[in-house]
Amino acid sequence: MADESSSRGLWLGLAVILVVAVAVPWIVPGPGQRHYPHRKVVRFWHVWTGDWEKVVDGICDQFNESQTEYEVIPLSVPGDEADSKFLIAVAGDNPPDCMAQWQDVIPNWAESKLVVPLDTLMAPDEWEHQQKSIFPAALRIGMYKGHLYGLTVGMNVYGLYYRPDYFREAGLDPDHLPGTLEGLSAWAAKMDKVDANGNLIRVGFLPWGMRNFAPIFGGGFFDWAKGSLNLDTPENMRALEWLTDQHERLGFDKVVRFEASQHTASGGQGDWPFMTGAMAMDLDGQWRVQEVKRLAPDFDYRTAPIPPPAGGRSNAGFCNGNFMVIPTSAHDVAGAWAFIKFWSGLVNPQRAASFYTSGGWLPMNREVRDAPLYQDYIRQNPQFKTFVDLLESPNLYPIPPVPYQVYLSDRIDRMEESACIGSVSPRQAMDRLLLEMKRELRLRKEYGYVD
Amino acid sequence: MKNRWGYLFISPWLIGALFFVVGPFIASVYFSFTRYDIVNSPVWVGMANYKTLFFDDPLFWNGLLTTLEYAAVAVPLGIIGGVGLALLLNLELPGMGIYRTIFYLPSIVPVVASSVVFMWLLNPQIGLVNSLIRLLGVEGPNWLQKRPFAFWSLVGMSLWSLGGSMIIYLAGLKDVPTTLYEAAVIDGAGAWNRTRHITLPLLTPVIFFNLVMGVIGAFQYFTQAYIMTQGGPEDSTTFYGLYIFFRAWRYLDMGYASALAWVLFLAITCVTAVIFKTHSKWVFYGR
Repeated sequence: MADESSSRGLWLGLAVILVVAVAVPWIVPGPGQRHYPHRKVVRFWHVWTGDWEKVVDGICDQFNESQTEYEVIPLSVPGDEADSKFLIAVAGDNPPDCMAQWQDVIPNWAESKLVVPLDTLMAPDEWEHQQKSIFPAALRIGMYKGHLYGLTVGMNVYGLYYRPDYFREAGLDPDHLPGTLEGLSAWAAKMDKVDANGNLIRVGFLPWGMRNFAPIFGGGFFDWAKGSLNLDTPENMRALEWLTDQHERLGFDKVVRFEASQHTASGGQGDWPFMTGAMAMDLDGQWRVQEVKRLAPDFDYRTAPIPPPAGGRSNAGFCNGNFMVIPTSAHDVAGAWAFIKFWSGLVNPQRAASFYTSGGWLPMNREVRDAPLYQDYIRQNPQFKTFVDLLESPNLYPIPPVPYQVYLSDRIDRMEESACIGSVSPRQAMDRLLLEMKRELRLRKEYGYVD
Repeated sequence: MKNRWGYLFISPWLIGALFFVVGPFIASVYFSFTRYDIVNSPVWVGMANYKTLFFDDPLFWNGLLTTLEYAAVAVPLGIIGGVGLALLLNLELPGMGIYRTIFYLPSIVPVVASSVVFMWLLNPQIGLVNSLIRLLGVEGPNWLQKRPFAFWSLVGMSLWSLGGSMIIYLAGLKDVPTTLYEAAVIDGAGAWNRTRHITLPLLTPVIFFNLVMGVIGAFQYFTQAYIMTQGGPEDSTTFYGLYIFFRAWRYLDMGYASALAWVLFLAITCVTAVIFKTHSKWVFYGR
């Protein structure tokens, strides 16, 4: 009798758990709740979080209100895992209809036929028009083997941020920056500070990024005309040697120590060494303008393009961006494309300008930039103009569009790291990169990849 | 009938294990002979992945040697530290329960959280460790940013979670019959001889268990390196597990990563087999 009653209790308990497990998802609203159940769904994945996510949600809401056919449902995916989640979703035949990304993925995904060539969704004359309207750097980010696979909805370009107060303190005139990189470097040395132990507590300028300085020195990693890698050039070597020299001047070990002490583990906002006073100048992206405005509106700073060295290129550097892709296996390509055109400004750039200003983003084409609303934004944020002006430059380059882009990018970073911590000479670091890439390309050939 | 109910209740686990462990485990054998990027169909390449990793991949050897070095240092250190700590915490002193709790607590702190805390502790300029060293008038090194300090920092950090093995050693110590100690005392044995000839021999089954688990854990070392150094500086902390992860998820080279994983599996199996083979010579079961 006791056995029977305990067995009944067990079954009852299991039944309750089952009912709760089934009912909870229906009662608690999920992130993808529908507001327009009769429309076609466009599932949109992106990598923005925090305040940015709210802006993105707002754009999606506006799209949903602007027409009656589609409902975009956004989902924020953690940035570091976004590409692997995307691939798993594609492999499981359940991909989003479109996705915003910022990782170096376009060549790899395009080569694997994972994403739709967006130019094929445009009429020929429309594509021709857009190629003239879209900034050259935005096209380079999204193009692979003659097709546009990613449409940039927020360009990232890099410029010089500098503090007039530190300049004046060192007897330098912030209204007249040196015209050359060598001159800038000499000024930077006057603003370095060390503590009683000899540790750096402030640096004038701590340049970083071969991907930025190779183009500034007139080089780069890719022959865009031939479509092949171009790593070992005199310009690239000069850039690497100059970067190494800057670290050596400050002391290899001391720079590592200084850098480690400047960042939180999360690399979060608000601890930017330039803003906290540990740097007189810094090379950084346009998003800092919005960040400063939010976190320290009275902070006095200015921006400018990095001046070129003798024989280098002006308005040059690295560019990347947030771009939209449509998976080949998307359930609603037309809906995804309508949303991308809405956001990017391919249609109604005047309206799209409000999206870019709300996020503090750089547009991908001239029509959005020239919209009155966007021009107002530049007037209200004068330091932003430096970055907007850079968009016209033909000297901005992303990581070369090759299918092994991530590996190449990692090994270039490794080359720079080794040279800039002084463990090998710049020449040795470059030679190792050449060996690594030669090996990688040989292996790819043996494995049957067609690059 | 009873058996059937048992199987029914563990069926969620059985089904999960079948589809998410056994299935992928077997599939990875096939993938290791292919080039495979998750999305496109695998392309058969025969032994190419194994040939490449043994004869044409410096990062494979770098990862393997780094991991072996870590296992060779961190595991014995963990055993010595764990046994030592357990012996100390086995003393009959007032408040011992509190000490045991204090030493055990770090082992239940999530690895990610403790890794982030250690990044701050080991910060070369503003970290606690170098601040203490500075009191001696010496400037501490760039712990996580310079080789070989980054590797040794991770080895040192492994001692942070000694509490987990310490508890097992402590349980082992409690199992040693007190009659043996009483007889030894009557025979005039001092504390060192009692430890050397009674405690340690009777603790060897537990040491054996922790050695096997420690070696397997060391070969799979990943999280701390992923969070704290990302394999740097200059690949000096690119442990084998981290390299598999990079190959699989960063370069989408699933076939190659599968081959790497199988080599790791075989390496762990071999090392564990060697440990088992030798255990009859040094593990004492009291019979």
